Amino acid sequence: MGVTCVCQVPVAEGKSVQQTVEQLHKKLEQLGAMKQGSFFVDCETYHATSNASGQPSKLLYVMHNSETPLSCLALFEGGPFLTADANFDVLMVKLKSHFQNAKGHKVESRGARYRYCDFLVKVGTVTMSSSARGISVEVEYCACVVPGDCWNLMKEFMQSFLGSSVPELPAVFSSKPEGLFVPTDCMDTMSQYLELFSKVRKQQVLPGSSVR
Amino acid sequence: MADVMNVGVNLEAFSQAINAIQALRSSVTRVFDSLKDGMKNKETLEGREKAFITDFQDNLQSVNRDLNELERLSTLVGRPSESHPLHNSGLLSLDPVQDKTPLYSQLLQAYKWSNKLQYHAGLASSLLNQQSLKRSANQIGASAKRRPKVQPSTLVLPIQYVDDVISRIGRMFPDLSIELFRPNGTSAVLLVTLGKVLKAIVVMRSLFIDRTIVRGYHENVHSEDGKLDIWSKSNYQVFQKVTDHATTALLHYQLPQMPDVVVRSFMTWLRSYIKLFQTPCQRCGRFLQDGLPPTWRDFRTLEAFHDTCRQ
Repeated sequence: MGVTCVCQVPVAEGKSVQQTVEQLHKKLEQLGAMKQGSFFVDCETYHATSNASGQPSKLLYVMHNSETPLSCLALFEGGPFLTADANFDVLMVKLKSHFQNAKGHKVESRGARYRYCDFLVKVGTVTMSSSARGISVEVEYCACVVPGDCWNLMKEFMQSFLGSSVPELPAVFSSKPEGLFVPTDCMDTMSQYLELFSKVRKQQVLPGSSVR
Repeated sequence: MADVMNVGVNLEAFSQAINAIQALRSSVTRVFDSLKDGMKNKETLEGREKAFITDFQDNLQSVNRDLNELERLSTLVGRPSESHPLHNSGLLSLDPVQDKTPLYSQLLQAYKWSNKLQYHAGLASSLLNQQSLKRSANQIGASAKRRPKVQPSTLVLPIQYVDDVISRIGRMFPDLSIELFRPNGTSAVLLVTLGKVLKAIVVMRSLFIDRTIVRGYHENVHSEDGKLDIWSKSNYQVFQKVTDHATTALLHYQLPQMPDVVVRSFMTWLRSYIKLFQTPCQRCGRFLQDGLPPTWRDFRTLEAFHDTCRQ
């Protein structure tokens, strides 16, 4: 598990989501990256139904990542986070009386996975109720585990195929007091995806962009 | 009782204050790191100085910010027990019959003495360590432990001597942790962990380095049966490249008369990889070339270069 950075790439002007994704693929291939299968990340939203204490209820997000196929991650808004076995989903069905699945809120990102030296790049189309909402790019530098060490290096790499839309250092790392100096884990990646998904959810539907 | 309650309330502030201290420490470290690294490669001298100064100012400002934060928090925390600088043992000072049982003042004295003793012992051990090449340092043990120079072959050195040399090197570099194993008989295998960057396995024959392999910090160094895995190479191209360069370094640092100097120079060279992912190439100024960071370190100056930039 290296250092990851997830960011949203704006759709190029006058192009569809699909065309922009293909453009990114082309750039990566020109760089010398090799295609290595595909990936997906999905996220379901649950509402807490019973609310005894009268506080505003937090949302619960249950996420899956093809990189860790045997795990399932549950994240409360603003923490705490939990990593569980894949049959956590079954448990959620049993807990139906406490947590209700918000249908139609399922967001997922699917796409191709590229490897370039020690970098892993995943370009995905973010879809919500079968309409494409945007593009996610995840860059992982597998050889290093400390974000503060290799951030400049990752930025240079991202510049080489994203051009000007290079993101800033993800907030997950900078907000922890010693975040730049401790090893990362897969929760850091997933909270970045969650942030991106909630941004996408609020966004307007792109005109004329249904998937395939 | 009121005291106890107070402490309970302040716990939150305590944890915040601890975090603030951590932040302050890391920002101070950054100041010294940037000072230590000196000026970056820029085209003009002015540009270099300017970048250096702004960097330095930024770092100092962040130190200032963290310090203010800490000061703010420290007022929240309060002092749990003002009269007891030594915590619970401070309760001894409350003893009314001070004159008969001067326990507390004796305790303070003893504390001071042990502090001083520790300080002086530290100084003495660092002084003694510097004399490692002198005859006197080697004569502590049995008489069989001769200087390597005098012996006909440096290939047969007593185990004890090898252990000494290695542990001395380990103490020289605080960011380099060295573990010594002897899986098969007398030959030592070192597992060197460098910061949070890499792990190197160094196979020795007495004090000569036979082979070395470098892997990532989070990669497995043990095989399935729990033994050190000294054969399989790293999964990452960066560390495969570093392994190649380390093998070159083994051939470069050769001094058959003084094998311990060789090991020390090799470790000094290996330690320059602590900033493997942080330093740009000294020639082209970029971080990446063909997807790899500058993996070459000059044998004398320890400057970072890309493999193709070093000629």
